[in-house]
Amino acid sequence: MLSTLELSPQSLDAEAPVRIAVKNLDFYYGEHKALKNINLDFRDRHVTALIGPSGCGKSTLLRIFNRIYSLYPEQKATGEILLDGRNIISNDVDVNELRSRVGMVFQKPTPFPMSIYDNVAFGIRLYEKPPKSELDDRVEGALRRAALWDEVKDKLKSSGMGLSGGQQQRLCIARTIAQKPEVILFDEPTSALDPISTGKIEDLLEQLKSDFTIAIVTHNMQQAARISQYTAFMYLGEVVEFAPTNTIFMNPAKKQTQDYVTGRFG
Amino acid sequence: MTAATDMTSMPGATPIVRRTPKATFDAVFRNASFGAAMLVLVLLAGIMVSMVVGGWPAFREFGLGFITSSVWDTQNEQYGAWPAIVGTLSTALIALVIGVPLSLGIAVYLTQLAPAWFKKPVATAIELLAAVPSIIYGMWGLFVFVPLFAQYVQIPLSNIVEGMPVVGTILYSRSPSGLGIFTAGIILAFMIVPFIASITRDMLEQIPSVLRESAYGIGATTWEVVRHVLVPQAGVSIIGAVMLGLGRALGETMAVTFVVGNANRLSASILDPGSTIASRIANEFNEALGLQLNALIALGCILFFVTFVVLVIARLLVARVKRY
Repeated sequence: MLSTLELSPQSLDAEAPVRIAVKNLDFYYGEHKALKNINLDFRDRHVTALIGPSGCGKSTLLRIFNRIYSLYPEQKATGEILLDGRNIISNDVDVNELRSRVGMVFQKPTPFPMSIYDNVAFGIRLYEKPPKSELDDRVEGALRRAALWDEVKDKLKSSGMGLSGGQQQRLCIARTIAQKPEVILFDEPTSALDPISTGKIEDLLEQLKSDFTIAIVTHNMQQAARISQYTAFMYLGEVVEFAPTNTIFMNPAKKQTQDYVTGRFG
Repeated sequence: MTAATDMTSMPGATPIVRRTPKATFDAVFRNASFGAAMLVLVLLAGIMVSMVVGGWPAFREFGLGFITSSVWDTQNEQYGAWPAIVGTLSTALIALVIGVPLSLGIAVYLTQLAPAWFKKPVATAIELLAAVPSIIYGMWGLFVFVPLFAQYVQIPLSNIVEGMPVVGTILYSRSPSGLGIFTAGIILAFMIVPFIASITRDMLEQIPSVLRESAYGIGATTWEVVRHVLVPQAGVSIIGAVMLGLGRALGETMAVTFVVGNANRLSASILDPGSTIASRIANEFNEALGLQLNALIALGCILFFVTFVVLVIARLLVARVKRY
């Protein structure tokens, strides 16, 4: 199993500044404590993968970074998540502004009920009022970066719902990067896609990391190994081990980690 | 292991005799369900034919004038449907103008904004409102709403707009009794709100939460999420709900007859009494004979046609939204 893993080329920069620092984070669904004392650093322009069996809290953790959990009054986080030194889970944070800086791509493609062009322009228009020509350029640029431009350039006015699943997911990525966020969160972005679409999105992630800080939740360990520089293995709401991806997969410090990445449990 | 399989595995045991399925029941069932489906068509055709046959003498007597004429004179046997058609369309339009924004507001509030403890009672209240018989709305409208409306809306409003161009005509009430086209529109709005609101609420609730989350996830405010993502996503169903409400508003009889004023002439003011097709039929059917009866059935024909046109327009709208 280990030998079949194709590990990412080591573009890991240990000196890269920490973009997101998670400190002593606890999270509750009502009374249920879903995350226990999480401490993690996400480095600038690196891909950090969160892996672990279902229900270990990795998606929960991801959903804290853009405060999506705040939509649900019964969910509560305590501790600190510092984004560029500012605690984003404190109550005085403007969550809408935060979400424009921390983009998120979901498990299932979620095109909005509007044209392809408007899907991408929607996020830009929320916070900026660029002139038409600049908006056109931004939309085209985002679609190009998402490797979707050639497939949709002749039908920008048609509905985003008419695209295939893989195209829809790339549309969602284009929509997210068009906003020029600083951090992008991916919540199992390829779990609903076929292998070819998955490959396209993985290539995309590789390119995006030169501009964005990326956190990705994935069930697919090969995927984590291929695309990330750091990996956190989580189990039952706790971070078991957090290290450079190569270490996690080749030489993990904990037996539990080794058992999981070699497929012995989980 | 069941007893049956045990037996078959025993050597020398009698083999299971399988019952042949009875094909006769299948045929009975197929024919019965075909009959049920046919009954719908037969009923529809029967109603249409009898309406046309019953109304035919009036159409033959007055021709197109039956639709365009405003005279309704039982003494001289002159009948024109125009005031009732206008009354039907204008009360329904007023009901939609008031009722649709109200319903959308209720549905959005209940699905997106309301705290959990408040959702349940309001949702239940809406369902109960939908179940209130129309005669209750009519009685409440006549005895409670109409006097209040006359005193606090009609009279002050007429004093304000008197002499003004356009609004001085449309909103001026010559006899502020509280009864009229506008009152009927308001009562109809109350009646269609529960329908439109509860269907819209269901539709908004069915939208996957991941779509809502991703709209919030790019930094949209609640208003932007509702306006640009949730309502368009539920668009087709909302149009369907509105059309259902419109259908009810066009055909509603009892409540409207109570509050519309039942005037046979057409007034330029929406605050004046008028009549709708349904209210006119309800008022006169008991004593109608001869040509008057034919004229009333012809009115029914027109209502049938108007409702049908609304349905077709609704279908076309829905098809357009779907294509997008």
